[in-house]
Amino acid sequence: MKENTSIRVSDLGKRYSIGKQKDTSLRSTLTGIFKPSSKVDQFWALKNINFEINKGDVVGIIGKNGAGKSTLLKVLSQITKPTTGKIEINGRVASLLEVGTGFHPELTGRENVYLNGTILGMTRQEVKDKFDQIVAFSGVGKFIDTPVKNYSSGMYVRLAFSVAAHLEPEILIIDEVLAVGDAEFQRKCLGKMGDAAREGITILFVSHNIAAVKELCTKGIVLKSGEIQYSGSQLEAIDFYHKINTPPKKTNGLFTNELIEIKSFETKSNTLTAISISSGFTFSMDFLHKTENKNLALTFELRSKDEVIVFHHGTWLCEENDSKKGIYSISGDVPANFLNAGHYSFNVIFASSLHDVFMNAEGVHTIEVENETLAGNNTILPGVTRPMINYSTEFKEQ
Amino acid sequence: MAKNSNSIQTKIINANQRRTLPDFREIFRYKDLFLTLAWRDFKVRYAQTTIGFLWAFVQPAVTLIILTLIFGTFAGIKPAPNHVIFTACGLSVWTYFSYVMTNSGSSIIQSQSMVKKIYFPRLIIPLSKAVVGLIDFGIAMLIMVVLMIYYGITPATTVWFAPLFILAGIIAALGVGIWLSALTVRFRDFQHIVPFIVQIGMYLTPVAYPIEMASERLPSGLIQIYYLNPMAGVVQGFRWSVFGGEPPGNLMYISFGMIVLIFITGLMYFKKVEDEIADFV
Repeated sequence: MKENTSIRVSDLGKRYSIGKQKDTSLRSTLTGIFKPSSKVDQFWALKNINFEINKGDVVGIIGKNGAGKSTLLKVLSQITKPTTGKIEINGRVASLLEVGTGFHPELTGRENVYLNGTILGMTRQEVKDKFDQIVAFSGVGKFIDTPVKNYSSGMYVRLAFSVAAHLEPEILIIDEVLAVGDAEFQRKCLGKMGDAAREGITILFVSHNIAAVKELCTKGIVLKSGEIQYSGSQLEAIDFYHKINTPPKKTNGLFTNELIEIKSFETKSNTLTAISISSGFTFSMDFLHKTENKNLALTFELRSKDEVIVFHHGTWLCEENDSKKGIYSISGDVPANFLNAGHYSFNVIFASSLHDVFMNAEGVHTIEVENETLAGNNTILPGVTRPMINYSTEFKEQ
Repeated sequence: MAKNSNSIQTKIINANQRRTLPDFREIFRYKDLFLTLAWRDFKVRYAQTTIGFLWAFVQPAVTLIILTLIFGTFAGIKPAPNHVIFTACGLSVWTYFSYVMTNSGSSIIQSQSMVKKIYFPRLIIPLSKAVVGLIDFGIAMLIMVVLMIYYGITPATTVWFAPLFILAGIIAALGVGIWLSALTVRFRDFQHIVPFIVQIGMYLTPVAYPIEMASERLPSGLIQIYYLNPMAGVVQGFRWSVFGGEPPGNLMYISFGMIVLIFITGLMYFKKVEDEIADFV
């Protein structure tokens, strides 16, 4: 590991089993001895995470709820073990996933400072040395020997944050803890974090507060569905985050934003009848491209009613930074005997590269594929596709 | 910046690396947290009760009276030197064992808010319960000493062996406590099983009757099973060291073997569960 690297994460993944609680009960473990275990649904909360953070970087991790931000912090803080990959951490870490961890209501402020301080990794001696500073910063004053159950919630949080603020780590991992206390105290906290950053502490900061990320951080990582979508400067990361997360406006049922406007989206059966299993269909779209001299790629995604992605397929319109301002038209052909009967919806993604998305239009158009009777059987068969398969059979031996 | 003996220069978290036993050096580094947690438990235990710390005396005293009444007066068991002191002696180690077993078992579940938010070696939680239990043990011992003075009984010369048996009792309690704390994380059923084990465990341990009654009256072969209870050997040994008399036989080693076995497998099982504790609780 290089001298100035603070954290290096390689190939990190964390898998959770859905319904784990239920499946590890004593009964199912006991019965599991006698019969093969039933399959559990699994999902990856984090996947293929790779990044490197240098000493003194202040990195903001942004993403929507469920993007894997908290899981990433938990894995980095060693609270839970990763399923794959490796993390190398250089330096003393303090992780603050909440303020006041371990605070006990029956204990006094003073006792809780010692308790919380040691939980955060300080020795009793260190807490003792900084005790006066902690109390002064919190503004709790003479109530320090009162049980914290009698504190106002503001006092409680201020005292808790003060302990954390006096940790002196080399790497600080913070989750949303700034969203506490009154406005004045929040400013004080942000100031303290800014000081820490100037002192050269490496900070990893997860927040929904984009403004705070913009102000405090120097780098940004955007997470979506457990994967890193973007990693770079904090401003670019915030831009990217906005792009993938601001839903385009819908006017007259179609989508528009400052870069793209979808003018029309239509589907037409390839036979004279309605769209059915054996008809196949053509989709066509007109859209206004509001910028120029860029690359332009379109991806069409078709999803079934149960959100199963049937296909995710696209094409380049311009590959040499030569896109023109104006209306483009595109059409595509979906073959017959491919989709099963049912309800499907189109998403369209406009982009110039993987990291530069113009628009992500979800649910642009929906289609209904009609069922066809198969050998007198009228029920809809399972599956998202229903291809024509030519079988050949033969009787081998008796 | 951070100048701290605690600091580790490079920490590596590797998904493919698993240890069999806990990292004792790391646990030692967290000794301050360990002591603070023990102190918190003690401090909070009698908070908001009217007679406070007195409860620590009431519980063993009442148990002692009831046991003496049932086993001594009703059942007519007459051990040496007399039934009250005899029981007080057995009860002191048993009280410690049952305290640690009960409190370690649920300890991690009860600390879940902490466990989900911060890392520290999880073993510290059940370990700290073993320290808090020593206070109860001390009180129970105090009751015994007071009774010995009252009845004018002097300890035997073998009393110097007592610390050895106390140590065995601590390790037994820890081993069982560590097992139960990890098991309770995985299977909440143990929250209901533990009080039950504590209850029947006292009758299967020679607390209020001499172990000789068990060895004389049990059908042959069953006494070995009786000694599988780690506390059978501990209570017998501790009592012998205080009052003297016939030294315990070789059967006692079954209990001590169990203590070592439970302790080591407990650490191994705990380590196995430890990495996933935050996902389970």
